[in-house]
Amino acid sequence: MQNDTIRIAVTKGRLEKKAAELFAHMGWDSAAMTERGRQLIARIPEQNTEIVIAKPPDVLTYVEHGVCDAGIVGKDTIMEYGGVYFEVLDFGFGKCRFALAGRQGEDFYKGHGVKTIASKYTKVTRDFFEKKGMDVDIVKIEGSVELAPLLGLADGIVDLVETGATLRENGLAVYEEIADISARLIVNTVSMKLKKQKLDRLIKSIEENL
Amino acid sequence: MKKYNFVTPEGTRDLLFDECTARRKIENSLMELFKSEGYSEVITPFIEFYDVFENYYPLESMYKLTDSKGRLMVLRPDSTPPIIRLAETRLKDELRPLKLCYNQTIYRSNPKETGRDDEIAQCGIEIVGNTKGGKHHNKNVLKLAVEAFEKIGENYRFELGDCRIFNNLIRINNIDKKVEKDIRELTESKNYSELNKMEIPKALKELPKLFGGLEVFVKAEELLESDYLKELLIVLKNTYDSLKEFVKEDNITVDLGLIGKQGYYKGIIYNGYIEGFGKPVLEGGRYMVSDTLATGFAVNVSAVAEFREKK
Repeated sequence: MQNDTIRIAVTKGRLEKKAAELFAHMGWDSAAMTERGRQLIARIPEQNTEIVIAKPPDVLTYVEHGVCDAGIVGKDTIMEYGGVYFEVLDFGFGKCRFALAGRQGEDFYKGHGVKTIASKYTKVTRDFFEKKGMDVDIVKIEGSVELAPLLGLADGIVDLVETGATLRENGLAVYEEIADISARLIVNTVSMKLKKQKLDRLIKSIEENL
Repeated sequence: MKKYNFVTPEGTRDLLFDECTARRKIENSLMELFKSEGYSEVITPFIEFYDVFENYYPLESMYKLTDSKGRLMVLRPDSTPPIIRLAETRLKDELRPLKLCYNQTIYRSNPKETGRDDEIAQCGIEIVGNTKGGKHHNKNVLKLAVEAFEKIGENYRFELGDCRIFNNLIRINNIDKKVEKDIRELTESKNYSELNKMEIPKALKELPKLFGGLEVFVKAEELLESDYLKELLIVLKNTYDSLKEFVKEDNITVDLGLIGKQGYYKGIIYNGYIEGFGKPVLEGGRYMVSDTLATGFAVNVSAVAEFREKK
């Protein structure tokens, strides 16, 4: 990567669209992003910027290793995977929340038995119950976690909730909120120092156009 | 039973031919430099009692084993605590300043498949001073760190900070332990937006933003009110100025948000970066051995060798 180029990893999918809109609003020619087809790297030459499209946890990995200077990624991914980087800005879009949910009308905390929790986000789940000083069994489920309490595998689930519609339609309800989620700008710890002026300008321009 | 006799543990590798030459070349030039400045080499054991690192490293970040008496041991994750141990025991009565250097590997148990190295070769120095020579040593050590970078021969950047600034702000504002832990993490990750949401004094919110060049001192002067903090700023500014005697100013940065991850640091801390490499390649700072000041730094030789290889 050339010293005067800034390389930004952007989470594929919804955040990618939001980011392209934001960049266009900032006066960038983001056509290379919106019309990238199957290309994984979009170049915006007049901004000396390269946009790398990647899956959420990979955004963290590329930024931590410094092959990308900055990244746009959800707080959910940051909470689940951790890593070493700066988290400098909250975009305020891509909003949802982590919540503990289960079958409607039941008291999750009733009784002395150890609860079983199903989640795709096992670290978030572990951290949440650790803070409460509560021992739980955690079962990793890859998708449609709502099934686990319905089938009787788990007493509750920890999952991302946006409107709560999926929960309601399946007879589930939120027991407790865990954290608010939105998209964040992360920056490699060395790039932040060595490319300070360029990154400062980028951050300022983003803040002005949010 | 599955056998693992054809693979190396994750985070480690065999070095072959050119890779060995590259690493040895860096090691030799650094050790030669350190020795020419009057530092004497020590080698400490690969394994140490867990207790040596207990205050500085989380249990899960170290490789652990037990000895025949069932006592907990670790593969050293850092060479400074063993040298503190040495300075407080066998070298206790040795004439100060003690000037020690080392060339050895350290071990970290990283989460798997993150591409981080578990085995890292380091060359470093430690100087354990008598009380009166403190300031002087700092300057000499910084000069040596710069010379080490020049030996490495890459385009580098030097960064200064002082963890007492953060620690003092926590103390004078009576922040309780739990909140302190949160602020520490958020400051370390420069998480401006989350810090802003907290009900804490402005100085703690702004501190992580105070990094860059000389202008940082001007901004800090307005933000930090107590005499003690102002005094720390002056000391840091003096260090900055003395560094200018042997480094181009463009190559020096300041970060007042550095908090000293390695828990033993008690004063000025510094990092060295190479352009194009995503992690610091030199880390150092001020710490205490009993009641005497000590300073040291380590160069990540594995990282430098790998970086050169790629180029």
